[in-house]
Amino acid sequence: MAVSAKPLSHPQVEMHHDPRQYLMLDPRPRGEMNEMVMDSMLSISWKFWVAAGILGIIVLVCLFGAWGYMIFEGLGVAGTNRPAYWGIFLVNTVFWIGISHAGTFVSALLRVFKAEFRRPFTRAAELMTTFGLVQAGLSIFMHMGRVWLSYWMFPYPNQRGLWPNFHSPLMWDFLAINTYLLASTMYLFLPLIPDVAMARDRSTGWRKNLYRILSLGFRGTEGEWTHLRHAMNIFAFAILPVMFSVHTIVSWDFAVATRPGWSSTIFGPYFVIGALHSGIAAVAMVLIVIRAIMKNMKYFIRPEHFDALGKLMLIVSMAWAYFFFNDYMVQWYGGDKWTDQLLHFHEAGLLGWMWLGMLILNIAIPWLTLWNKKIRSNPWILFIVGLLINVGMWFERYIIIPISLTVNRMPFTWREYVPGIEVLLTIGTFAFFILLYMMATKLIPIVPVWEVQEGQMAHSLRRFGRETVISVSELE
Amino acid sequence: MTETTTLLAVFPDLEPAADGIEQLRSLGVADENMNVIAGIPVTEAMLGRPRQWSNVPRLAGGGAVTGFFIGLFLAVGTPNLYPILVGGQPLIPIPPSIVVVFEMTMLGMLIATFLGVFLDSYFPSYSPKEYVPEISDGKIAVLFNCPDKKQKEFVKAMTTLGAESVKPAEVQKL
Repeated sequence: MAVSAKPLSHPQVEMHHDPRQYLMLDPRPRGEMNEMVMDSMLSISWKFWVAAGILGIIVLVCLFGAWGYMIFEGLGVAGTNRPAYWGIFLVNTVFWIGISHAGTFVSALLRVFKAEFRRPFTRAAELMTTFGLVQAGLSIFMHMGRVWLSYWMFPYPNQRGLWPNFHSPLMWDFLAINTYLLASTMYLFLPLIPDVAMARDRSTGWRKNLYRILSLGFRGTEGEWTHLRHAMNIFAFAILPVMFSVHTIVSWDFAVATRPGWSSTIFGPYFVIGALHSGIAAVAMVLIVIRAIMKNMKYFIRPEHFDALGKLMLIVSMAWAYFFFNDYMVQWYGGDKWTDQLLHFHEAGLLGWMWLGMLILNIAIPWLTLWNKKIRSNPWILFIVGLLINVGMWFERYIIIPISLTVNRMPFTWREYVPGIEVLLTIGTFAFFILLYMMATKLIPIVPVWEVQEGQMAHSLRRFGRETVISVSELE
Repeated sequence: MTETTTLLAVFPDLEPAADGIEQLRSLGVADENMNVIAGIPVTEAMLGRPRQWSNVPRLAGGGAVTGFFIGLFLAVGTPNLYPILVGGQPLIPIPPSIVVVFEMTMLGMLIATFLGVFLDSYFPSYSPKEYVPEISDGKIAVLFNCPDKKQKEFVKAMTTLGAESVKPAEVQKL
């Protein structure tokens, strides 16, 4: 009897796709990549200056002008009232701290897990962390009102020998946010040193002097790389618990108060996952804009990166939905009279549309779109999904803070929160973030070229039988 | 005493650079008289070089301990400097103290790590140094000392192994 064998699948002679579609398998000489990054940094068109000018005017009027007016007139020009003492300023604080989480997540966590797709955009993400924290800090100062007294939080005793109360959640905030700001700035700077040294070697005039100072005399000796590698490994591991602690502590500002809707043991991880939800979506948006606007970025930032970020966005959206439902379920089941009133107010009150919008934007839209690779790999669709997620996450913070403050255990104090000057200041912080980011892209190499080259060296194609597969070597 | 010259051999890639280092060793150049300068973090193992020593992890540990004690001072020490007892609450509650101590420990560790790079690498250092800008274009340079009289022999050996240029290292302003 003749034996016949059928192939289990179609024979795979070569890879399905051109391997050069992946950045790590499409290497170019280092000198060429350096030139591409320098070119993208040095090409400044008139459109850039027009955009920067418009943003500068918005920052001057909406941020510093409106803030100056508020300092002069007092917090009365803001919409905060009794019982909604906390308004959009703190919504923005939580939102911007959330945005800042993405940089660390993308850079540190993906570095720890050696996710190779991170390489070209770690710096773009780290910049978001630093500039996002600047906006968060500004929003806290706005909320303080008497901003000139902010030094009262500094850890030193006053003239009566009394120290700040470090057991207050607001002091935890002060310590955690400052720790995170300092740590993320140092973490941005360390891997930047070799790239700034590269820029120093290719610049003239004031740029040469600037890069000379910033590169600290770096040449790339064995010792310098060893110390840098050790430091970056320590940072990658140590900054993660700091990142988690920051948003957990921000959540405790609410959770340690025995208020309906706030007193929850799950607020810490719920806030952290919310931060990642908005932050990763924001990283995708920034990368899409950088790729579209800056020269040569199509080589470094490719559909494979959007595909990977889209997957992350989908997973984080699922995690956020899980935490949201967990928090909602327990509060709803508890049957506390005031919590029931608040939940009803969230869903069917004046701003019920915001609650519904939050669920649609944070859950329905990512789930309906991001399962599809074609959608994930399409930059502009991903941009729209990212934008909608960020709107949804801003709604979430608005619901948690001023809307939840509206309903409390004293119905005679219930009062709607209507934002006043906060609207202008919010526009100002967004414009300031974009302006700072734009300026930074023209001052520092936005792509860590040495990391990209290192990754390209580690990648190769290997044949397993008849199939060619991508192989990554551990170079460290 | 033999007069020595410092030469800088620039290689296009890792492989010839590793061969060059091996050749230098066979010509009698000790490892401590060589240094590799590269635009990417090539490890010691790749070039067959002795393991580099770094104080950064130890400094990070020291920073963490310092930060821990500063945190302890803020959370536990300062309430005792001016005790205010409120409504039967403890003067030093443990859970909030953990938050403060944790943040200060991490801050101490990360600042020490950052400064450790500066200390170990002698940053900032703006004095002129042996360097060629081609290094940041991906070339690998080997800086070594050799006896004056044998300079030609060393140049020939390095060139044979693929060095693009071998010349006396000149200090230049970075």
